[in-house]
Amino acid sequence: MSRFNPYGDSSGGSSLAIAGADFAILAGDTRHSTGFSIDSRDQSQIADLGDGLFLTSNGFSADAKQLVDDLRTQIKWYHHNNNDHKLSISAAARTTMMLLYGKRFFPYYVNPIMIGMADDGTGAVYSFDPLGSYDREPSRAAGHASELLMPFLDNQVTFANQLDPQTGEPRKRLDLDLQTAVDLVKDAFTGAAERQVQVGDTLEIVILTKDGVDRQYYDLRRD
Amino acid sequence: MAGLSFDNYRRNKSLEASGVLPPKTTSTGTTIVGCKFNGGVILSADTRATAGMVVADKNCLKLHRLAPNIWCAGAGTASDNDKVTELESSQLEIHSQWTGRAPRVVTALTHLKQHLFKYQGHVGAYLIIAGVDVTGSHLFSLHAHGSTDVGPYLALGSGSMAALSVLESKWKEDLTKEEAMELCSEAIMAGVFNDLASGSNVDLCVIEKGKPSRLHRGYKQPNQRLQKQRNYNFDIGTTSYFEAGSEVFYISKQSDLETSAMEVDQVS
Amino acid sequence: MDTVIDQLPKSVDAAAALPACVNGLPNFEFPSIDTPSAFLRAFTDDASNPDVPIKPQHGTTTLAFKFQGGIIVAVDSRASAGSWIASQKVKKVLEINPFMLGTMAGGAADCQFWERWLGSQCRLYELRNKKRISVSAASKILANVTYHYKGSGLSMGTMVCGYSEKNNTLEPEIYYVDSDGSRVAGQLFSVGSGQTFAYGVLDQGYDYNLSVEDALTLGKRAIIAATHRDAYSGNSCNLYHLKPTGWVYHGNYDAAAEIWRLKEAEGSFNDIRTK
Repeated sequence: MSRFNPYGDSSGGSSLAIAGADFAILAGDTRHSTGFSIDSRDQSQIADLGDGLFLTSNGFSADAKQLVDDLRTQIKWYHHNNNDHKLSISAAARTTMMLLYGKRFFPYYVNPIMIGMADDGTGAVYSFDPLGSYDREPSRAAGHASELLMPFLDNQVTFANQLDPQTGEPRKRLDLDLQTAVDLVKDAFTGAAERQVQVGDTLEIVILTKDGVDRQYYDLRRD
Repeated sequence: MAGLSFDNYRRNKSLEASGVLPPKTTSTGTTIVGCKFNGGVILSADTRATAGMVVADKNCLKLHRLAPNIWCAGAGTASDNDKVTELESSQLEIHSQWTGRAPRVVTALTHLKQHLFKYQGHVGAYLIIAGVDVTGSHLFSLHAHGSTDVGPYLALGSGSMAALSVLESKWKEDLTKEEAMELCSEAIMAGVFNDLASGSNVDLCVIEKGKPSRLHRGYKQPNQRLQKQRNYNFDIGTTSYFEAGSEVFYISKQSDLETSAMEVDQVS
Repeated sequence: MDTVIDQLPKSVDAAAALPACVNGLPNFEFPSIDTPSAFLRAFTDDASNPDVPIKPQHGTTTLAFKFQGGIIVAVDSRASAGSWIASQKVKKVLEINPFMLGTMAGGAADCQFWERWLGSQCRLYELRNKKRISVSAASKILANVTYHYKGSGLSMGTMVCGYSEKNNTLEPEIYYVDSDGSRVAGQLFSVGSGQTFAYGVLDQGYDYNLSVEDALTLGKRAIIAATHRDAYSGNSCNLYHLKPTGWVYHGNYDAAAEIWRLKEAEGSFNDIRTK
């Protein structure tokens, strides 16, 4: 029986991403905690990887930091080797898988979410399991409040389990505008902060469009 | 009550050993404080109850009335606190009927500590007991194993370190009622904001010599739910169903409808 | 200014270098302790301990069978991490190349990684030998890998399906390969936590001479039956038909909608009440 335990306390917080036709949103709270005490109320968990890519990795924060460092190194080498060619999000996602799977037998304790603009101009969200399995998705939540956030996103972003009252057929999401998506993110997090003690303080929202990056901050409960 | 039933104790132990996870008890994972002032004593508590890292109740009442002149605040297992204070409240009432006198705080304390000691800490009640009686005003703390403490100001629960940091730096002798109320609520707020297991509002109870005790439910409410950005009402027909039907329930009297609302928001 | 690099095709895999290779296999980092596999089990095996911190995604029903019109491959789309549904629309059929499909059961990451790796090995074989690799050879490359890592904690049960050239004709082949190192050729397989339910339907309805339409229906029907009874399978069914000319995707079918449709169409699923 192995007593070796390299994994620390999961450091709390949650993150969430929504992809739209011409935007992508990545949001996370800024609370960092150990057990029942708060280490920081202002610790951003959204990493700017460059090339219009943003990443959150909930789980053990030392592993998350190592993963971000490795990714930045990979991107830097890609630039050196390819005349500063911009790394596409599909390639960045594959690289992330390789980094995670390279530690298949000594895994990183993380649940990463990456956003960027895909080559065709659509917003892209990629999510990963700790071992590197990944997929592109319309929305994804990770971290301690993922069980609260994900059903809400399923219901409000993809209209899961809703019928169209007029036709009686399953309701379909035809378009999702940026303002609606940002509002959904805020409501998802105020709701999560009500019931998950590790979520709170400030909500940091990164909004990606063809025009660039916009960062917004929104107050959450501080208790 | 003849005592607690341990019928399932061995069965549950063997279930646990075979990997079945026990259900989570609701913990008051709490900040509670008590503080004396010239003329009486104050109890204060936060209102968050947790089950693990999930908030089970956002506005629970952790201040319990043992007698008109004796109150207590509870930390630890929520059900144990509710039951043990309910039991003690009955015992004190019987005792005061029998003696024809208002109960004394030490009577409640001694009786409770004997009860808790008997159960060797398995009844998880951690209490701060406060009250006024014929011998003056008193403030005690009581741990689940049966030990007790006395002091001019006391704090208990997971947020007690945060609360004590305020009490230790700001408490002084001969506090007025208003000063003591301010000090207690500030101590609770330290727990509310710095201890994850404590949160929501501040409840406060003032017990004064020669006056009826006064419970301030929601004395401070620093964590109000923010206005939602969107409206989440669903149109009729959104949920699929097998068949539609309706049933009329008979309402015996209007007060039945009002009871639940009153219990939640009562401010006396 | 257009550089040479800017004119190159933007390959998805351009930046995705494999972990450094040793003896032709990717090099993995192991914890420097006596029993790395016991360590891995202690932290990732949610079957023996539901409280492990790292929960890989798994749970599945997959199936594949040969018939006169080729090969049918059908899978569900649920990924679970413990009792949590981690994803409702996982692609469990991995398109190794236009003529070969691999299915995914067990650890999602193990299947995704090794079947993609297999895809690149197959492509290298083509470049070296100027002909397509046979399914038996491809499946053996995969089985050699799983045997190499036997006991270290890989979890995968996969069916490698495709057409191989034999005596100048193209023959359909299915190979079952798993993380124990097994490699078995066969006519009909089902793999995953819902396999028994799928086998029930397949064995009852299977015939080599099935028409393409009936074979597709049978594959889908078996997956729907499994999603109905296996909690770790569900959400939807992905259908593929392999022909000598390559594979054809036959769509994604919502399991819940399919149940109601089947109930009405064939009078089955009488344990659920009528709408």
